[in-house]
Amino acid sequence: MSAAQGFRLRLRAQPDFRVDLSPLQPAVLAGRDVGEVARLELRHANAHVELGELFDVDALPSEAPELRIEGDLRRFDRIGQGMDGGRLSVTGEVGDYLGAAMRAGEIVVDGSAGHLAACEMAGGRLEVLGDVGDFAAGALPGSMDGMRGGTLVVRGNAGARFGDRMRRGTVLLLGDAGDFCASRMVAGTIALAGRVGAHCGYGMRRGTLVFGGSAPDVPATFAETSHDIRVMWALLSRSLGKLHPAFEGRPARAPRRVVGDLAADGKGEWLIAG
Amino acid sequence: MSAQAETTSGAAEQVVVRNGVSIDPTFAEAFPMKATRVLITAHNDIWARNAAVAMTGFATSVIACGCEAGIERMLSPDETPDGRPGVAVLLFSMSGKELAKQLERRVGQCVLTCPTTAVYAGLDDGEAVALGKNLRFFGDGWQISKMIDGKRYWRVPVMDGEFVAQETTAVMKAVGGGNLLLLARDTDAALAGAEAAVEAMRAVPGVIMPFPGGVVRSGSKVGSKYASLMASTNDAFCPALIPLAKKTELDAGTRCVMEIVIDGLTEADVSAAMRAGIEAIVARGGDAGVTRISAGNYGGKLGPFHFHLHKLLGAEASI
Repeated sequence: MSAAQGFRLRLRAQPDFRVDLSPLQPAVLAGRDVGEVARLELRHANAHVELGELFDVDALPSEAPELRIEGDLRRFDRIGQGMDGGRLSVTGEVGDYLGAAMRAGEIVVDGSAGHLAACEMAGGRLEVLGDVGDFAAGALPGSMDGMRGGTLVVRGNAGARFGDRMRRGTVLLLGDAGDFCASRMVAGTIALAGRVGAHCGYGMRRGTLVFGGSAPDVPATFAETSHDIRVMWALLSRSLGKLHPAFEGRPARAPRRVVGDLAADGKGEWLIAG
Repeated sequence: MSAQAETTSGAAEQVVVRNGVSIDPTFAEAFPMKATRVLITAHNDIWARNAAVAMTGFATSVIACGCEAGIERMLSPDETPDGRPGVAVLLFSMSGKELAKQLERRVGQCVLTCPTTAVYAGLDDGEAVALGKNLRFFGDGWQISKMIDGKRYWRVPVMDGEFVAQETTAVMKAVGGGNLLLLARDTDAALAGAEAAVEAMRAVPGVIMPFPGGVVRSGSKVGSKYASLMASTNDAFCPALIPLAKKTELDAGTRCVMEIVIDGLTEADVSAAMRAGIEAIVARGGDAGVTRISAGNYGGKLGPFHFHLHKLLGAEASI
């Protein structure tokens, strides 16, 4: 069999336990043949399973590293974890840790993702067409910093603690966010087109939340500023508009700005444009 | 001046005459410099220009100013990062280190201080030097960083709101010291010709003419009879010294000479500007009073960039 740059994996059978798919990275698989890929061992609970036992593997006529995975992957975790290039697309639901700590490349999921999607993501682009669970763009358990670079676009809703401890990067959430959105946020930008749950911005130190949809209730630990922010708003809104049409055409009107969380230095800001 | 001119190698070459304007068979000699472009925006073009004029003040020559700087052109709102009117400014210096020093001082004192302004990098490729990186400390801890599309901006609270500055700009290799000498029958004609040439040259992107109004009347030569001076008056082009200097390039009918110095981001930019200037003078014709165009050089031994006037005109084959 000849080597290929891209592969398509079609789920043939659901595993009995959860499977770690972190070894499946487009750039790592590129240059291998179908047989080699099918013999890759994946962690399956506390044992291993060959990829070929779960998936049908085909080569794709790609010129660049690419991986397409099809099927209901809710029992498959860590898809694209640590990814450093190439393109990975999934048609179906996926498990936890989607794109965790990815550094480069692009992941697109046509479905929803479990918890901790894009946690500690450092670069590249991750788009989820469905929902994401709790702690998306947040930190791994025990870690001090959440997402630290790259771009995350979620077209559906997000669970609790969205962007918890986020440090850098840009996030677009087109649906609603759960409780404690942007809690303990250190820096970066989160643009929200929907509603947020309770305690948004709890302990937020720096960073920017852009509310393009309904205006949130402003907590007592946030204070309004009234100065002219049209310059920064022009830069930011143009950038967000390029990422998604929901934020296009915003530069014309400067948003209302509140800063906080005053209980945590107060240098975070909410730009309420909706 | 006769219709013959000596080249630096001593061989005689013919002067080209176009529309009554003689163009010497000589060349302008230019030097490598380091350059950057910054974009200044403001609430309207008046304040953008105010900042740019202040920032490019006292920046005519690296001999004593540290850098050469000028307004490249005005920018419409759709050409600037924040959608406001702006100005593109070019700064040139002899080293990247000096350029960084001048940039920081000038932006700090002239742009940060000017109402409503913001400042951005005007070049993407090249070694990064600080733009807002150190000026942010004016914010005394209240400054905020914002990363947008991979570029870091600093937001410094000031009394009219906030000063936004991109963290760095890029420095590139550039060309400084392109020049034209306009020899005229009198002051009025020399000024009118120089103004027309500068106007034409300002339409060329990537260049500045750093002297007042783009024109310098005190052209210099390297060295002096006084040991402490590195440059002194260009006696060969001083009408007052026609009967006195050991060597003069002027004839009795030349009573005024103006020089236009050009700094450009690339050799091609300087060439294009010099060509535009020559064409503007030629279009006016010799009857307008500028009767001859020459250029300054050091024998071709100092600067690696040689801008031959006849080559710029495409005139070599038609002599």
